[in-house]
Amino acid sequence: MSKPTDLVQGTLDLLILKSIALEPMHGWAIAQRIRQVSNDVLQVNQGALYPALHRLEQQRWITAQWGESENNRRAKYYSLTKPGKKYLQSEQANWERLSAAIGLVLKRA
Amino acid sequence: MRWLQSIFHRVRNLFRRDAIERETDQELRFHLEREIAQHISKGMSPEEASRSAFLEFGGVEQFKEECREARGVNRLESLLADLRYGLRSLRRSPGFTIVCILTLALGIGANSAVFSMVNALLLHPYNFRNLDPLVRVWEDRGIDEGYDARYIAPADAEDLRSINGVFEGLTTYNYQSFGLGAEGDVQPILGCRVSANFFDVLAVAPAAGRLFTPAEEQPGADQVAILSYGTWQRRFGGDAHLLGKTISLNSRVYTIVGIMPKDFDYPVPVELWVPLALTPAEKADRTQLSFNALARLKPGVSVSLAGAVLANFSRRLEHEYPKTNAGRSTTLLQLRKELYMFTLPLFLLLQVAAGFVVLLACANLANLVFARMIGRQREIALRAALGAGRGRLGQLFLSETLLYSSAAGAVAIAVSFASVRALRASIPVGWTKWVPGWDGIRVDGNVLAFTILAALGVGIFLGLATLLHTSRVEPTKTLKETGTGIVTRAKRRVRSTLVVVQVMFALILLVCAGLTIQGFVRLANIYQGFEPANVLRIEISLPQKVYADNVKVASFYQQVLRGTASVPGVEHASLVTNPPASNVDNETTFFSIEGQASLKASEMPSADLQITSPDFLETLKISSVAGRPLSDADNADAPRVVVVSRGMASRFWPKGDALGHRIRLGAQDSTEPWLTIVGVVGDVRQNWWNPATRPVIYKPFAQAPQRSMTLLLRTASNPTSYVSAVRDVVRQADPAIALRGVNTLEEEIADSIAIVRIMGILMGIFGLVALALSSIGVYGVLSESVAQRTHEIGIRLALGANPRDLMKLILGQALKLTGIGLAIAVPCAVAISRAMASLIFGVVSLDFTILGGFTLLLLLVALAAGYLPARRAIGVDPMVSLRYE
Repeated sequence: MSKPTDLVQGTLDLLILKSIALEPMHGWAIAQRIRQVSNDVLQVNQGALYPALHRLEQQRWITAQWGESENNRRAKYYSLTKPGKKYLQSEQANWERLSAAIGLVLKRA
Repeated sequence: MRWLQSIFHRVRNLFRRDAIERETDQELRFHLEREIAQHISKGMSPEEASRSAFLEFGGVEQFKEECREARGVNRLESLLADLRYGLRSLRRSPGFTIVCILTLALGIGANSAVFSMVNALLLHPYNFRNLDPLVRVWEDRGIDEGYDARYIAPADAEDLRSINGVFEGLTTYNYQSFGLGAEGDVQPILGCRVSANFFDVLAVAPAAGRLFTPAEEQPGADQVAILSYGTWQRRFGGDAHLLGKTISLNSRVYTIVGIMPKDFDYPVPVELWVPLALTPAEKADRTQLSFNALARLKPGVSVSLAGAVLANFSRRLEHEYPKTNAGRSTTLLQLRKELYMFTLPLFLLLQVAAGFVVLLACANLANLVFARMIGRQREIALRAALGAGRGRLGQLFLSETLLYSSAAGAVAIAVSFASVRALRASIPVGWTKWVPGWDGIRVDGNVLAFTILAALGVGIFLGLATLLHTSRVEPTKTLKETGTGIVTRAKRRVRSTLVVVQVMFALILLVCAGLTIQGFVRLANIYQGFEPANVLRIEISLPQKVYADNVKVASFYQQVLRGTASVPGVEHASLVTNPPASNVDNETTFFSIEGQASLKASEMPSADLQITSPDFLETLKISSVAGRPLSDADNADAPRVVVVSRGMASRFWPKGDALGHRIRLGAQDSTEPWLTIVGVVGDVRQNWWNPATRPVIYKPFAQAPQRSMTLLLRTASNPTSYVSAVRDVVRQADPAIALRGVNTLEEEIADSIAIVRIMGILMGIFGLVALALSSIGVYGVLSESVAQRTHEIGIRLALGANPRDLMKLILGQALKLTGIGLAIAVPCAVAISRAMASLIFGVVSLDFTILGGFTLLLLLVALAAGYLPARRAIGVDPMVSLRYE
């Protein structure tokens, strides 16, 4: 098994925002989700997830609320705020443009 | 608004710190539990699962710290920690802390006090809306008229009103003394006659009632008055129904139509204003320059443009009325500038001096902080080694110095409240009667803002200086050192620079202070030609209605003179129109000399006119130069005679033959009688601001009685003890007459130069503070640098060095630094005193005694600062000093 790819700097925010875009999630679920959806290619450093979550919360892109987890434990659920949604859209567009451009360069050069 | 919210959250997070910490713990624990559960469900043993989960997660504590950082709590928290640390270290060395805070508070407080004066006297002398377009307008005859002889002829002012495009309005005014009240209880008060648009030009509204109407400028319709707020309160007890009531002024009935606001006191604090009603003949007068004029420039009209228009205007008048207006030029000056023509530079000087004081305080404090920094080198190196970046160290220093400076700022605010109160309390009312805006001196928002900004500025400046000072700490090297407090060359250079700068500031400040005080002393002695000691002055003004004819006026004053002269202890009693140091110019008059061809109006000689009773020269001990003084024989029936001043005699009769010549007062077509010069007397300095000796003509009172005179008494002892006797004499002559301006001549002289006196005192205080601060500073730096070399001195002694040579070495270094400072400061001080000479009315000159004296003084301080610790270091047994750490 090849080593899981390290995340490109700054993309963790994007992944977190995208993961919770559909429904509120707690930290562990976000990590699981990123891993599953990327077919185990992207492995989030689990510890590093939390400073990122707290930073995003401080920046008001996301908000947190305590709730019941699926195994009846108290867990902190994060959800996207309105400015967070906008931010996600623009960041996603940026990312797509960037990766398309890199793809182009790699194909043609 | 986002940043505001973010700050709000950070602060909130700070207060909810414990709760948030708990939540973070819970959150992370939840994650780990889920991970472990998942591992177990995949078939791991519980121990294995837990190990693997923690491994995958990474350092829990590290991520918690990162979470705190992410929430932004850290920076605030570390700032708080720094502040707490700072407070602790302040408490640990209370002596040091108190010295620092007091030094800074002194410096900042001095600045605030001066700024409160600048704020009140220069920035807001009057509370008018828009002071800038207000200009004073007057006609200049090109002959020295004295600084405040700025008058305009009534007809010229009228013409000036009609020129278009320059003034929004032009108003004329002059002062008049009134007797307020009915027969038997007449109080003298100072009023101002103003044209109807006076208050409109100044753009002020009455606090109650109305302003004057143009119709009230007509003689006969002019019996209306507007009171000042103070008069309303003092004389009428703030009577709410005063409007519409009548008062008696000079035995005429006036209706009170308005009351001005509390802070309105233009042109000087007068008690009331009445309309300036002129007869057609008075209005058409072009000969006498008799009114003050004030105008408001139209928006967009600059002073220089208005000046050009006025120059044209004067040329036109000169052409149309050559007889009266030849050589006259109409001039204007911004009101603000006129007001502080003399005192503005003084205030600037004072503010700069206060700035120097705070710089000296900063330099001292920097010294102390640097000295402590050397002791803290290991601590700082340790912090750096543990990963504190430059920014982090900067935050530490800044928070410490900001603690000092904000404590100092708080003390300084208290100091400035106290000093402003002291300033206002300790300066007698008499001094400040000539200083507009003085009552406005207070610690207001501006002054508070100034103080807080100054304190912050000082704190940041000191913090950054400290950071620069420690920027070259190399942890490995410093930590390896044995802690002898080795001072690097760079650091020694910084501290040497401090000594040089301190010596420099101190010398400049001391020289400025010395010169200002010297200026004050010279001003105080400038009233020459008479002896002011033991002279009582009292102003008397007779009402026009009762004393309509000269005979009555003369007999009243004769009775007063005889009565006061016979009071035991009164040596001489006399009358004069304008006593010295009155701060008012003498009345001037044109005159022609018999036998000389009649001259054009602009070339007519003019002189000051004084009317005196015979004993005047004796009373003031003015010397007699030639001929005889005026005597009782020069009465109304005797031939008309005058006495002239020495300056007048030598100017117009350079051959020394003034006696016996005849002069005639007034313009060239005057019908006045010829007056024979019977005596020449010494020159007298009339007012401090006018250095030129004006020619003076003294006319005998008996031949030209006046209703308003000043009574001068030379007494055997303290003049004020004769006031009640004089009051009795005047009451016998006429019980309705009140005494005004009762004061000793010496006091009056001191009052007239009050502003310079205040400056002198403040500069003196600043000079002393500067001397103390710089002595402490120089001593501190030098003695410390010697103390740090105790080890080295021990080695030298142990190796057989001669103690005298060592002493020479140390003193040489102290003198070198001081010498460099002095070498820079002396040329600066010379330049500044040159500039000051022109500021302070030409009474100050570069004084090498002052310069040399203070230079020597600072050298002595430096010698002492080197000698005392050096002696201590050399006296120590080498074995002991070698172990000295």
